[in-house]
Amino acid sequence: MGLEDKLPSGVLLSTVEGLAGYMRKSSVWPATFGLACCAIEMMALGSAPKHDISRFGMERFSASPRQADLMIVAGRVSQKMAPVLRQIYDQMTAPKWVISMGACASSGGMFNNYAIVQGVDHIVPVDIYLPGCPPRPEQLMDAIIKLHTLIGDTKLGPNREAIIKEVELAALNAKPTIQMKGLLA
Amino acid sequence: MTTTQDSAVAVEMITVVIDGFEVSVPKGTLIIRAAEKLGIQIPRFCDHPLLDPVGACRQCLVDVEINGRAFPKPQASCTIPVEPNMIVKTQLTSPVADKAQKGVMELLLGNHPLDCPVCDKGGECPLQNQAMSNGRADARLDGYKRTFEKPINISSSVLLDRERCVLCARCTRFSAQIASDPFITLNERGALQQVGIYENDPFKSYFSGNTVQICPVGALTGASYRFRARPFDLVSTPSACEHCASGCDMRTDVRRGKTLRRLAGDDPSVNEEWNCDKGRWAFKYVTALDRLTHPLVRNSSGELVQASWPEALAAAAAGLKGKRAAVLTGGRVTTEDAYGYSKFARIALATNDIDYRARVTSDEERDFLAAYVAGSSTTYRDIDTADHVALIAFEPEEESPIVFLRLNKNFKKRGLKVSAVATKGSIAMDKLKADFIKVAPGAEASAVAGLALTAKSVILVGERASESAGLFSAVAALAAKTGAKIAYIPRRAGERGALEAGALGTVLPGGRPVVDAAARVDIAAAWGVDSLPATPGRTSSQIIDALASGDLDAVVVGGVDAHDLPHSHAVLDALKKSFVVSLEIAPSSVTAVADVVLPVAAITEKSGSFLNWEGRARAFDSAVADSHNRSDVRILSMLADALGNPISLGTVTSSAREFNQLGSWDGARVQFAPVAAGTAKSVSGNDALLSSWRRLLDMGTLQKGEDNLAGTRRPTVAVISTKRAESIGVTTGQQVRVSNAHGSITIPVLVEDIHEDAVWIPRNSFASQALVALDAVHGDVVTVVKA
Amino acid sequence: MTDFNESANIEKKISGQADINSVPFTEVEQPGPASLAQQAKGFWVTFSTMFKKNQTVQYPDVKAPTAPRFHGRHQLNRHPDGLEKCIGCELCAWACPADAIFVEGGNNTPENQLSPGERHGAVYQINYLRCIFCGLCVEACPTRALTMTNEYELADDKREKLIFEKEDLLAPLRQGMLAPPHPMYPGMTDTNYYNGDVKEAHPSQSESGQGVN
Repeated sequence: MGLEDKLPSGVLLSTVEGLAGYMRKSSVWPATFGLACCAIEMMALGSAPKHDISRFGMERFSASPRQADLMIVAGRVSQKMAPVLRQIYDQMTAPKWVISMGACASSGGMFNNYAIVQGVDHIVPVDIYLPGCPPRPEQLMDAIIKLHTLIGDTKLGPNREAIIKEVELAALNAKPTIQMKGLLA
Repeated sequence: MTTTQDSAVAVEMITVVIDGFEVSVPKGTLIIRAAEKLGIQIPRFCDHPLLDPVGACRQCLVDVEINGRAFPKPQASCTIPVEPNMIVKTQLTSPVADKAQKGVMELLLGNHPLDCPVCDKGGECPLQNQAMSNGRADARLDGYKRTFEKPINISSSVLLDRERCVLCARCTRFSAQIASDPFITLNERGALQQVGIYENDPFKSYFSGNTVQICPVGALTGASYRFRARPFDLVSTPSACEHCASGCDMRTDVRRGKTLRRLAGDDPSVNEEWNCDKGRWAFKYVTALDRLTHPLVRNSSGELVQASWPEALAAAAAGLKGKRAAVLTGGRVTTEDAYGYSKFARIALATNDIDYRARVTSDEERDFLAAYVAGSSTTYRDIDTADHVALIAFEPEEESPIVFLRLNKNFKKRGLKVSAVATKGSIAMDKLKADFIKVAPGAEASAVAGLALTAKSVILVGERASESAGLFSAVAALAAKTGAKIAYIPRRAGERGALEAGALGTVLPGGRPVVDAAARVDIAAAWGVDSLPATPGRTSSQIIDALASGDLDAVVVGGVDAHDLPHSHAVLDALKKSFVVSLEIAPSSVTAVADVVLPVAAITEKSGSFLNWEGRARAFDSAVADSHNRSDVRILSMLADALGNPISLGTVTSSAREFNQLGSWDGARVQFAPVAAGTAKSVSGNDALLSSWRRLLDMGTLQKGEDNLAGTRRPTVAVISTKRAESIGVTTGQQVRVSNAHGSITIPVLVEDIHEDAVWIPRNSFASQALVALDAVHGDVVTVVKA
Repeated sequence: MTDFNESANIEKKISGQADINSVPFTEVEQPGPASLAQQAKGFWVTFSTMFKKNQTVQYPDVKAPTAPRFHGRHQLNRHPDGLEKCIGCELCAWACPADAIFVEGGNNTPENQLSPGERHGAVYQINYLRCIFCGLCVEACPTRALTMTNEYELADDKREKLIFEKEDLLAPLRQGMLAPPHPMYPGMTDTNYYNGDVKEAHPSQSESGQGVN
């Protein structure tokens, strides 16, 4: 990414990590991706005074992807919408995050059929999955707060590379799906 | 189809009116089935088309009127045959019948517990369904229901919940009428009437699972399926049974990649809705065995290590290329796989050294198979029309249970005469009231000649006939003399298919003799090769000998367990000396000495077909859809490619298509050279002639992991005659030691009807593995002493 | 409203040489700039709002209670003596429109008695990525084992974490409850349990070393 990635690991980097994480998490701009009923709840969060998302530095729900770094996929993603969604994601500036809001976006929900993408993580990497049908605004806020924690803890530079390696290794050693039991299978 | 005797007689048809519709049915048809023909469903519990009518549950009450005179009360439609001028009104048109049915249902439910949520039958229960369709909406009974202790084990495989029973007597009628195993009965009277077993005598029937399947409520449930799933979880696939050559139609129910149960399918020409407990409950071996998941290759330090498929195929090809190699397939491969092995041996290895018989064999048997069995067409139908059935070296209940059920049906319905040439009497012979021709082990051939058969008789000869010299010759001679039909019934499901596919040294696919040049040209043209090897191949024992002596260098082994072959230590020594490529589902005695091990699909993971003893194709589809394992024929095809001599059988479908296109040979069969009748060895003192066969439920690999099923095994006993028991001073239940120079077996004794010179022990049961422990086969001399 | 002939006329003009200026339209009177008084009235709304009560709920710090029957996370309840109410009958899985529930029954044995009667739920999983919180499973449950709580903070960062196992769903042990497996209350049948005759774990069981919470 930027200069922070070039820093050697150590005390200096930890401080920069903490600072960068704090700044990033305090100014996340969501790109709206309202697709169905979940979008109503998302709008309740975005514009109603009761919930007031500006409190989290998310004043601006961006309609332009290039000015956004959080995609809230709210609703069922049809196969036709999938490439559009991916394109919007690709146009967003890194670092960027995705919240999969509601059952349909997370797994297809009750729409287990040919028309609906069975989980938006088939298309974009998802950072937070949010159950609910639709989730109430508080649930979305909860998801956002959990995402903030993730963003705040993001590692940079060599630490980040180490984590990437660790994740890769864990994925290689993970139990194959065929051996999983029950709903995991 | 040939015209049979009963269809030649004109069937008298009777026309009746049911709910205002006329229907013509043969005389003797029950009202309930005449209504079915019109599509009118009368609710029922006790009625079953294959069991005698009993009228036990009273659920099928209808209004009946004959010649204008009505019965005063509704009648049970499952017990009354149709009559001319009969007018029937079912619950659809008669309020009286409808009210009667609702009343009966209310009474049946009066004592039926409300435990549908915990009942295994829930979701597929005739009582649930018919209570919804033909019952009252609410209950008027206000009080306590009768309770019993629940559930109780009536055998290790079957659980009985008497609270749920509606006393339809299906289970007891099945046991008495179909299986002739009357171990369960209705006890007590009135409200306390209940299904029960005799004291200290569990429901040890080989067919007990059928009672679970036909129970219309959840009173009888299988222990191994207890609380495992609901019908809506299961994906059902029609399949065929892989256990024996009877060829039962089956249904395999799978939940998330795991087989949970198997049920008997309905094929009136073969198994008629029934099957045996082994077919029903022995399926866990697929997961219970420590399955091979990757190819294994023996490295330079002599260890088997995991390898990728290309590595393993290259290693196998390097070891087979230019070597003198043979093929042993075992009797459990599908027809398509056997055809693959057959083609692989002829093209990729350029040899006729292939034998599917992983058991005690003889050259006489090989010639008999090629001359009389390949392409033969004796069927179950022939048993139904036979006047006399001779059982030769064949124990129907243990070795082909559905053949036993068919014999029993004919014995019960029309008094079929059965003769058995054997050393020992058996439960099946008692049930069939068979004429028991007692012979010493080894002397069967001379006894067979004396059987009084006719052209309408059927000779059922088992694979054990190969253990008695001259027996196949005597059977052939008897058939030639009397015109009786021969039915060869092997024990394993794949044997007939392997024979037809040419997995034998002297025959090519379709029964074409190897020695016949025209037959070779026929097959060579179909396979697109210049020529086929002309020398008849070795038998399995000759292949083992050749491997031991160095005349052969390598061998491709399918599903063969060395312990099924005689002299298993010598077999393993011979395999150790040679280059062995093993295709197996799980580690076995052969994979332990193999140089390359290639994992293959188990039966539920692949499609294919078996030919049952009739030669009838029993096709099945893969029940577990997402398995990564491949059928043998696919792997052989890859191996042939690696060897540079492709056999082009990439899929099971292509193998089946090619095999069916070849058709059977219409030219001359292999000439059968009769062998002189053998005689029994003479014995004296404590010496005895060994006789043994495999029990249906024993230590077989395909029964691994089935603890419930193992509980209904028949006990392991050594059977001796009264005279011998007196001379060595034992009584039933005491221990005897059966021994020879090789080893000994000590098991309890049973004094029973057996030839004076003989001792019988089970061949592969717990504590009695005759082939492994004694290295002795039928007719060998052993010593029997009190232990 | 334009009549039929007129619109035909327009079409003709467009297809030929269109004359935009001659297309008929209705002139609407545009509002002019508002008067100062009106503007002040508008700003007054904004200004006065500053002194109104703040509507915002400070969510993570202040959590307004949900409606009492809000459909939140499920809970597998227990009988008063701690035995599980779930009998593994799979009716919830059957009712689920999203196929989010997976259940496998198990056999209660004297050594492993998890619920009254013969059967218990050996495996119980709810996939919250599929669950639509419709409550049909709760309606289907014959033993009132499955109910819904008001808990809604379920978001998580891994798919696997949102498949809740039986341990995640079971209700906590309360006063008088004893962690299963333990035998049924002496002298009681499963019917007694459903009738509510069992009020607490039998004292003899609690003294047998397991302790009552």
